[in-house]
Amino acid sequence: MLELLGTIGGNALGLPGILGLALGMMTRRLWLGAAMGALIGVIETLLFAGWQIAHVEALELMIAVVVGICAGSLGCLIRRIGATA
Amino acid sequence: MAASPENRGWIRRLWSWIWTPAVAFSSGFLIIAGFLAGILFWGGFHWTLELTNTEEFCTSCHTMETNLGEYRETIHYNNHSGVRAICSDCHVPHEWNHKIKAKIMAVKDVYHELAGTISTPEKYEAHRLSMASAVWKKMKASNSRECRNCHNFDYMDFTLQETRAASEHQRAIDNNMTCIDCHQGIAHSLPSDYLETYQKVTEALDSKTPGAAHQQVAENGEQIRSFLTTRTDQ
Repeated sequence: MLELLGTIGGNALGLPGILGLALGMMTRRLWLGAAMGALIGVIETLLFAGWQIAHVEALELMIAVVVGICAGSLGCLIRRIGATA
Repeated sequence: MAASPENRGWIRRLWSWIWTPAVAFSSGFLIIAGFLAGILFWGGFHWTLELTNTEEFCTSCHTMETNLGEYRETIHYNNHSGVRAICSDCHVPHEWNHKIKAKIMAVKDVYHELAGTISTPEKYEAHRLSMASAVWKKMKASNSRECRNCHNFDYMDFTLQETRAASEHQRAIDNNMTCIDCHQGIAHSLPSDYLETYQKVTEALDSKTPGAAHQQVAENGEQIRSFLTTRTDQ
């Protein structure tokens, strides 16, 4: 449980959370924001695995993608609410 | 009838203020202000995080006194070169993602300090094996990532090492072993029957990664620790 929370926190304060949010804020299309967040999640996991698929842990990849999707979607919602034009 | 702005609660007024376009500030001003605020916030956050990496912080809890005493007897605390590895060097990853994960997981240490889980020498001894095996599991799974922040097989000059150390390190390379396979108890005392538990940790991890089932436990761990302790005393 603690490991799960730690992984989620690490991703939320890492690339999927922050860059995912920033990229999500660049579009009004929810699916695009979520997709960009998910992509950052995949890239981040591969980056920390030394770009070797064999070193990627399925759970870590899944959490990074989910956090990325959430962050990208949140960024997109911020754009929709916060931009007038 | 809609409530007038004055009659709304402060949360709703704050929410409305956040999402109303700024009319008094230019975009450039907001970008620069946001950028500076970001630097201040992130710098402060990172600085605070680094403060939790200090030896003083780690050992400020009563329950850390036992492992601090053990660590002070080792080569990582006192050695001829004057290079010291403190708690965070071995227990906190450098990489941001792993570091945040470790910091969040360390919340359990605060809980156990408050709960008094290892508050007496007897309780400490009772939990020593489980605490040690948790660290071994992490180190084995990460290929001793924190050890490799300072040590690396590629940087070792075997001709400068003791003959036995050189041959053991060569064996480690040949058998795809990692630092913790031989160096359990490098900074803290070992529980009895630790080797059996370490073997189980290794087997459990090997079962997750098929094809990695080598003999990955040192057969002469006691000799290695004895050697390193002797070097500390010199």
